[in-house]
Amino acid sequence: MFENESIPNSEVWRSDVVFRRGERWLVEAASGGGKSSLCAYMFGSRTDYLGRLYFNDVDVSGIPVAEWQRLRRCHIAYLPQELALFPELTALENIRLKASLAGDVQEERIAGWLKELGIDSRADYPVGRMSIGQQQRVAIIRSICQPFDFIVLDEPVSHLDEENNRIAARMVMREADRQGAGIITTSVGNRLLLDSLKTIKL
Amino acid sequence: MIINRLLRKNMSPARIAGFVLSNFIGLAIVVAGLQFFQDVKSIYSDDDGFIKKDYLVVNKKVTSANTVEGKAAAFSAEEISDLERQPWVRKVGRFSSVDYRVTASVQTGGRGMSTYMFFESIPSEFIDVAGSQWGYRPGSGEVPIIISKDYLTLYNFGFASSAGLPQLSESFMGGVPLRLHVASEDGIRSADFSGRVVGFSNRLNTILVPQEFMEWSNERFGSSSVKDASRLIVDVSSPGDVAIGSYIEEHGLEVAGDKRSSQASFLLNVITGIILAVGVVITVLSFFILMLSLTVLMEKNREKIHTLLQLGYPLRRVGAPYRALIAWSCAGAYLLALAVVYGFRLSYLHQLEGLGGGHGNLWLAPAAGLGLTAVIVVLNSLAVGRRVERAWRISR
Repeated sequence: MFENESIPNSEVWRSDVVFRRGERWLVEAASGGGKSSLCAYMFGSRTDYLGRLYFNDVDVSGIPVAEWQRLRRCHIAYLPQELALFPELTALENIRLKASLAGDVQEERIAGWLKELGIDSRADYPVGRMSIGQQQRVAIIRSICQPFDFIVLDEPVSHLDEENNRIAARMVMREADRQGAGIITTSVGNRLLLDSLKTIKL
Repeated sequence: MIINRLLRKNMSPARIAGFVLSNFIGLAIVVAGLQFFQDVKSIYSDDDGFIKKDYLVVNKKVTSANTVEGKAAAFSAEEISDLERQPWVRKVGRFSSVDYRVTASVQTGGRGMSTYMFFESIPSEFIDVAGSQWGYRPGSGEVPIIISKDYLTLYNFGFASSAGLPQLSESFMGGVPLRLHVASEDGIRSADFSGRVVGFSNRLNTILVPQEFMEWSNERFGSSSVKDASRLIVDVSSPGDVAIGSYIEEHGLEVAGDKRSSQASFLLNVITGIILAVGVVITVLSFFILMLSLTVLMEKNREKIHTLLQLGYPLRRVGAPYRALIAWSCAGAYLLALAVVYGFRLSYLHQLEGLGGGHGNLWLAPAAGLGLTAVIVVLNSLAVGRRVERAWRISR
């Protein structure tokens, strides 16, 4: 799927990989192995790779910017490692900023997710004043409140305890199953505790 | 809206105010300059509907020699053909004058007045009056006349008020028939005509009758002596040409009527040009202030823009708060400029109307300001679009 001279052969680089809807994948790698690069390639924010990346036989290098924006709204959910939350906005505002784009997520469901992850009392706190773990939970909720065929989670639970990890995994699986979507998650150690996971090493 | 709040963070009100202020000053100068020009222009325009602007009426300067010798300052045939050879001359027409005596009388308010007078004529092609009004059928008893406006002014404000006579309006004069008594020098042949004033001219300093009448009547009542033309009407290709002025100067000629006003209108053009240039320069500078402020603002917010795009926000929507900022600040500056120009116009309008101006086009100046504003809005909006696109791919 990807080729890069400076990176040695792996199950991804210099190989062919196919991700299908309904599948759950864990991309495992050492720190600096290129997980975040892989996510950015799949999300269109970076193009510094050799080789080919296809969505349904469509080479992504030919996808125009406006189409990428539509894909991001309706087909690919993405939780970047750096979370990309707005620290000056509250948890709820951050989530609504995304939810209002898709328009099909109701307030009750968001409230339910906040409660499930135990941050409902923090809903109106500015994200910048929360712990990383809390921020990760806000970002997870934000990532699932849109329609998607694939959800890409880059190290989503690095700062979560096992309890919250399980809750988050359950939530993501439930939402992905509801939409019939595939899950691609990465980890350097603390992985999202998904069931029936396929693993590839980077 | 959350997105507006996010993207306008780091906005410097001082910078935006600086743009609005400078844009306002630039626009106000441009719009005020143009509006003032429009309003003043009509004072100097000599359009009177009878002869075109490109026509000059030329005569020789009358010197004391002419008075002493009793010789009229007339143009010889060579002088006329020399004038016709000038590159700026399209055609030359001669003034012909009557070769007999004319007495005009008019009845006003029960009182009669009569005066000796004269006629002149120029070729009909130089006169712009609707065809049916101007012209003469030989033998007809009615003669159309164009009188210099100066004569009416002289009568109304000089003569009538001192002699206790009623003042006459232009429309009244048009309705009252002048009784014209025409007689040859020896008094043997004579006839009466009814004169109808069809108009008053600012630029023809004479009493004008149709060329046809002139030829017909000179033949009948004149002494058939041939006179040189003392005045010429010249159709010039560009009235502002410097060559005209120097030719006139060199040959000791005079241009009737509009000489002073053409200098004034030339000065007006120059001054308006300078003022507009200053206004446009300030407007252009304000354009760069806005451009720079937006660059700084969007550069500071680049990360936020990138994140919003990563969330899937359409590029257009991410640029919208900046475009709204551009549109509102430009609209504010423009409306402010319009209001100030409106006040400025009110302050000079009264005096200008006393001078015969103040009836300029009311749309041109605001439209020019709007045009400049539109250019600023469009160019800056395009720049916003480019910067959003640049933030799409790379985050730092």
